[in-house]
Amino acid sequence: MSEPVLTLEGIAKSFGANQILANVGFSIRPGEVIGLLGPNGCGKSTLLNLISGVFPADAGRVIFCREDITGLGMDRIARRGLVRTFQLPSMPRRMTVAELLYAASARKAGFRSLFRRETDEKAEIDGLLDDLALSHVRHLPAASLSGGQKKLLSIALVLRASPRMICLDEPTAGVHPNLRHHMIGLLQRIRASGITLLIIEHDMHFIRELCTRCVVMDRGAVIADCLPSQLTSNEQVVEAYLGNARQKRAMA
Amino acid sequence: MSDFIVHVTIMSGLYALLALSLNLQAGFGGLMNFGQIGLFACGLYGAAIAFQFDLSAISGFAFAIVAAALLGWAFASVGRNLQADYWGIVTLALAEVIRIIATNEDWLTGGAQGIGGIRPFYFDLDSQTRQIAILFTVLALVLAAALLCRHLIGGRYGLSIKIMREEPQLAASLGYNTITLKRQLMAVSSVLAAISGFLFAHYISFAGPEQIDSSETFLIWAMIVVGGLGNNIGAIVGAFLLQFAFAFIPFVKDWIGLPTEYVAAGRLFLTGGGLIIFILWRQSGIVPERVGGGRYV
Repeated sequence: MSEPVLTLEGIAKSFGANQILANVGFSIRPGEVIGLLGPNGCGKSTLLNLISGVFPADAGRVIFCREDITGLGMDRIARRGLVRTFQLPSMPRRMTVAELLYAASARKAGFRSLFRRETDEKAEIDGLLDDLALSHVRHLPAASLSGGQKKLLSIALVLRASPRMICLDEPTAGVHPNLRHHMIGLLQRIRASGITLLIIEHDMHFIRELCTRCVVMDRGAVIADCLPSQLTSNEQVVEAYLGNARQKRAMA
Repeated sequence: MSDFIVHVTIMSGLYALLALSLNLQAGFGGLMNFGQIGLFACGLYGAAIAFQFDLSAISGFAFAIVAAALLGWAFASVGRNLQADYWGIVTLALAEVIRIIATNEDWLTGGAQGIGGIRPFYFDLDSQTRQIAILFTVLALVLAAALLCRHLIGGRYGLSIKIMREEPQLAASLGYNTITLKRQLMAVSSVLAAISGFLFAHYISFAGPEQIDSSETFLIWAMIVVGGLGNNIGAIVGAFLLQFAFAFIPFVKDWIGLPTEYVAAGRLFLTGGGLIIFILWRQSGIVPERVGGGRYV
């Protein structure tokens, strides 16, 4: 069996007296597509922020490709190949979609680029824009795109950052069903290219179409780690989402 | 009259260098630097101190460039995690510290009296020819600085600066170290401010603390806001427009028949009024920033 690409060990996080995560741990193997599920407020986005370096964990370790990345900043983690999208992607007002895609490859756009000959990436960027049905908006300011187009663009941006693993925070939230279908196709192609995916999502159809495994959280802890097909038969998962089982027990 | 126009054009060119420098920081990088005059001071006192200690102008120039680059780096490093507005306050305070040091360290800076008699460029020429030579030197430097700014901003590095300005969290999530980007941008742009200060000292033949008062920073801000934040041509247009407007205030005063003390008030009114009018009604300035249309679309 191949080595995990990402391992979380005993992750804990509190904001003041409010404990958000307690002893969270699981591993992800290369090429897997993990659906991270759970009701609102269960700690999914906090966990994603910890993995991607938005803020540090109070306890525990994050191992990415055999390297301990606990406490590293977001930029250093991204340069190691672990990149993410945001639930509500905020895009630049004074940069076009095409400019943003060129800028997304940080390795080619820093200070050193002033002293290097630029590589021609037009074909790559045109292909990406065609793939995402964004060719017709390439010259528009990125902030002027619709919510769904911004979600697609944010996936394109992380693809330009040479990722080994991508974390997506609710990629289909607020996205039109037509675009959702388009997004599933795109993510399946990303998966086929060998990039590992961790996806926070509430859409069960999306999860079943795409994910190879699901990790379910409730109140800051992992309550299930199973196949997508086993979700509905898992009592803890049903209880976390619907609360019926707990209610029945209380009434009994 | 022509001597007067040449003088105003030289002064406009020197301010254009300062405006181009601030435009790199604030217009393209989103760095609210209110201590720009502190970077100018490096050039001003680099020239003056070299003269005071009988060193060559070249050594003064080298000192000015290195000091400005280091100070720019330090500006970006101090309070690097602060939000833009709080960082701006820090830079204003740092520039004031520099002015206070210049006022009090008599042995080095001449104190409040400053350092006078700095040897002008083209010393061997007669005064009229010298003015013309200085004029062409300054205009050539403004052109060179504008081309440098275009090179910096027109390529991939410019895109990285813009993404840092627009969406710092997105930039970090794609692998950009935004603190390093800020340091590099401050160090490079500070050199332009230092060149302006160095030329100013040799042109006026004097360096004193009143030349690095914080109100000068707001004049440079007014130039880039009026000209157009995020546009190199706009920065130059703003510098020339305000300098020429200032130069003609005394004539307007005579024409209207106002007392002499109204000249200073008129300059303040132009700086503050220009800032307010453009911030309220035309934030993009006379020559707005161009979005897209470059080589990447």
